[in-house]
Amino acid sequence: MNGRWAANWLAFAAVVVAVGLVELVQPGILARLSRGLVSVDLLIRAGLFTVVLVGLNLLMGYAGQASLGQAAFYGMGAFASAIFTVRTGALNIPSHVAGAWWWPWLMMAVAALAVGAFALVVGLAILRLRGHYLAMATLGLGIIVYIVLRENLGLPHLNLTGGFDGIVGVPRLRVGSAELWPVQVYYFVVWAAAVGAMAVGLNLVHSPVGRALRAVHGSELAAESVGMDVGKLKAKIFALSAALASVAGSLYAHFQAAVVPDTFGFVPSLELVVMSAVGGMSSIWGAPLGALAVLLLEQLLRTHVLGLVPAVSGELEPVVFGLMLVVIMLFWPAGLVSSRRSRTAAWAGR
Amino acid sequence: MEPTATEAPTRSVAVPGRAVGTPTARRAPTRAVLGAGAAVAGLAFWVLGRRLGYGPLDYLQLVLDGTVTGSVYALVAVGFVVVYRVTGVINFAQGAFVMLGPMLAITFFQTLGGHGAGVLAASALAAVAATTLVATVVHRLALHPARGASPLTKIIITVGVYIALQGLALRVWGPRPYVLPAFTTLHMADRLLQLGGLSLQAQSLWVWGIGALAVLTLVLFFEHTVVGKAMRACAVNRIAARLMGIRVDRMATLAFALAGVLGAVGGIVIAPSTRPTYDMGLELGLKGFVAAIAGGLVSLPGAVAGGLVLGALESLWAGVTVAGFKDLFAFAVLILLLLVRPAGWLEPGQE
Amino acid sequence: MSPRRKAAWLAACGLGVASLLVLLVFPLVAAPARVGTPYRIGFISSVTGPGASLGAPERDVARMFQERLEREGGVAGPDGVRHEVQILINDDQSRADVAASLARRLIEQDQVHVLVGTTLSGPSLAIVPIATELRTPTISMASARAIIEDPATKRMRTWIFKPVPENLHSAAKQAEYLKGVGIDRVCHLYENTAYGQDTFASAKQEFAKAGIRILYGDSFDRFATEFPQVTRVRASGCQAVVIGSIPPAAAVINVAVAGRVGPRKIVHGHGACSPDLIRTAGQAAEGTVMPCGKILVADQLPANDPVRRVNLEFIAEYTRFTGGQPISTFAGHAYDALQWALAGLRAVPDGQPLPRVRELARDAIERIRNYVGTHGIMTLSPEDHLGFDAKDFVIVTVQGGRFVLLPPNRWK
Repeated sequence: MNGRWAANWLAFAAVVVAVGLVELVQPGILARLSRGLVSVDLLIRAGLFTVVLVGLNLLMGYAGQASLGQAAFYGMGAFASAIFTVRTGALNIPSHVAGAWWWPWLMMAVAALAVGAFALVVGLAILRLRGHYLAMATLGLGIIVYIVLRENLGLPHLNLTGGFDGIVGVPRLRVGSAELWPVQVYYFVVWAAAVGAMAVGLNLVHSPVGRALRAVHGSELAAESVGMDVGKLKAKIFALSAALASVAGSLYAHFQAAVVPDTFGFVPSLELVVMSAVGGMSSIWGAPLGALAVLLLEQLLRTHVLGLVPAVSGELEPVVFGLMLVVIMLFWPAGLVSSRRSRTAAWAGR
Repeated sequence: MEPTATEAPTRSVAVPGRAVGTPTARRAPTRAVLGAGAAVAGLAFWVLGRRLGYGPLDYLQLVLDGTVTGSVYALVAVGFVVVYRVTGVINFAQGAFVMLGPMLAITFFQTLGGHGAGVLAASALAAVAATTLVATVVHRLALHPARGASPLTKIIITVGVYIALQGLALRVWGPRPYVLPAFTTLHMADRLLQLGGLSLQAQSLWVWGIGALAVLTLVLFFEHTVVGKAMRACAVNRIAARLMGIRVDRMATLAFALAGVLGAVGGIVIAPSTRPTYDMGLELGLKGFVAAIAGGLVSLPGAVAGGLVLGALESLWAGVTVAGFKDLFAFAVLILLLLVRPAGWLEPGQE
Repeated sequence: MSPRRKAAWLAACGLGVASLLVLLVFPLVAAPARVGTPYRIGFISSVTGPGASLGAPERDVARMFQERLEREGGVAGPDGVRHEVQILINDDQSRADVAASLARRLIEQDQVHVLVGTTLSGPSLAIVPIATELRTPTISMASARAIIEDPATKRMRTWIFKPVPENLHSAAKQAEYLKGVGIDRVCHLYENTAYGQDTFASAKQEFAKAGIRILYGDSFDRFATEFPQVTRVRASGCQAVVIGSIPPAAAVINVAVAGRVGPRKIVHGHGACSPDLIRTAGQAAEGTVMPCGKILVADQLPANDPVRRVNLEFIAEYTRFTGGQPISTFAGHAYDALQWALAGLRAVPDGQPLPRVRELARDAIERIRNYVGTHGIMTLSPEDHLGFDAKDFVIVTVQGGRFVLLPPNRWK
């Protein structure tokens, strides 16, 4: 890696580590300083979403392919990790294997590969579709995966996914005998994944593949006419985004220790797109920014604004959130971060 | 959808029904594939149904039941199509209009005394008008200022509007279910009609009748009025329409108003068969969207057919197998349809 | 957007932000100084999302308790020292990830002594690992058995309690009733939600024990308006239709079934024990029966039933506080959960550090004996964090637009 983006990336990684160290030395200091607005819990969530959003931004912002079903891949990773670490009895996994510290890590990797392969196969078929039709197909795919999780994979007697109630008791991750816990430690695991995903994304964007992606985004026909295999390229990016989402899902399962299908349905998929758009999908930097911005906005509404007026707490939160979304999109139609190129284009397009 | 705003506005104007589909997709032998698919599905339904001892009458009952819900899907789908064709926006706020119609109608009905056919009709009309007003305001305040933005930005705006409207409904009406009396009996309990072994709620006739009337009126409006023709012109080519002196922005607002009317009507006619709650819009909106896409997203007949067929298929599926997988079935059919014929299953060209 | 319009937008936003800031700062200035060591109860319910019709009344009960506690000056410990109690009320939007986030925040940042929450089973299960890890007594208002019991080891989860009867209790009572009226072939229709699925699983288990056969069982969609399932019911030859659903879906399918399946008996689950059923199913609900908590028919209970007085007092206070909202069984769950939380805190002497308060409160909750609650008399123990007896369910029917207690001698 070289160039300005690498410097930016290093600076960002340094900030992430510094924040983590401060919280490690003085647990709870972030929450005290920010009067409850920022917490490790929130930062971990932001890190998990960053991993998903890097993939989503590559897919939507660079390859120009919308996905309204990304939460499905997130959920597949989460449930794969949960099933293979909790339902070991039903799967006949010997306990000395299932109890080994490397087992969850192995399953996380296997899940990511499997989900990536699944997305590759599906992608080769549905990425022929464009625009709204592709969005619709991914939406359908997302809902199908959600229903399969909810309906116990169609095998109620095995009760692998636990139906609506999901799975409780996913173990914490370990390295050797050291448990990567409490949350202050897990923060580093999640953000290592997030910063790693961003490095992969930035590297890809500044490589010949990135240029090819932009060409696809600009004009698919032109890209094809100069000899690019557009279909395969798009399917590969789709697979990468799915694999990233799967890793994030696995990390979520080990963080939350409980997974429920409802976390991975249609509305969460929509929220991922919202985060991506708020952050700016034409930039890898939009991923952490979008995740943080949306989570902070929700938190701000919940604890600092509406929480102070008990009579209106709860019901008004979605109203304000929805309106804020509209306002953000009106003022920053290309998201909070956008490449200069697309920003000028956005203004020219007015 | 093109996520960033790098494109010139003219590109979003193009009617996607024509633009989509790579050469491979276009070459697919759609009629044969669809025919074969329908035959396989029919056979599967028949085999599964035999296990349960179904006769032709049972199937007819299932299909009839399905087309009632399907008519509402169709109305919502037509709302999607009208807005999409004129403005290029997929309007996720459509679901909110479907919820606002019955909720407002119930509130008006109760405020006006809560009995009598005249009062019911007046409340329903007032609710449709109010929903239309909301739709208009939504367009002028939230979408009109963003008219230069990318399609995805606009979609997210409509998502924000949906979230806000549903939240507002929760604030106003609470989470409780409400009741709109059946149109025939003017009472909570509807009359059950028995027609040679088939049973049918009287409300179903209202759903079919009012749904058909709404769509017919819309078609006549598009075909025979100056404003309707102007809207169609916008759908074909917005720049050319502007050059012809058509106020494209007003047409866009009108499209939203029409979507408000269709959504509210759909919600109100089905309300007596269900018990409206503040969150009823998401499901109906999503299914309407599926129906619209299945019909090609630009075709009115396609949207109507999409809604009716989706409703019938769902009902048949639930009738012969396990209802838990009903939505899975609906979406699997949708994806297959998209793959076989991305531009919708009706022949394009009538638009 | 033209520059002028943009300026107007910005001005409007600025005004909004300014007023929010005022709201933000004002309570800081106005907050009264607190004395003693106040207790905090974290309260989570689903005020928005699919669980809203359950969670909103629960939230109202929490507000009612807050008002009552302020009036009474908090609770007194075993040493006679009074502690103010603050209830921190939150909405999890019926979502598991939000519930988990809130639980961690309430326990770690707000340092609550006891946690009460939440409305639905999925989100409650998401709280379980957090409450266990952070050693905070937690009382759920949802019904799933897995909330208090680890399904793998069949052992009670140390820190989790719930005062909410399960579908197994409901199914056992239904079976008792069905046997009582001589029905042994039934159909089961359940809404496709966590609640509905669980009613079906429970019915399969309990009905089999009682020798009742389920000839046809299937789910239906929560927003469905037409029910092809009715065709199957008619073809199946069952004598009664058992419905596992919550209004409004329970009302819609009640209406659909009542009109079309002839003289078959309709039996609801305890999820239908809500005035919403009668309000939204109307005539079709007449004659249906269901097992319910005693709170629903408190005024019809015999005078010597201690549950009667507790419920009548609670209902009167709740109705007054909410300005005439009808009582629901869910409000009753919130009442019991908060009573348990307060019972735990009352057992803690003053001057203990936070972890110790949580431990003592937990131990005290586990020791609750003969608690007279909204749904019956409950006794907790290390082996039972619910303490409910299916005998405390009563069979209720709908007559003349109201719930009527149906004692066993009037079942036939």
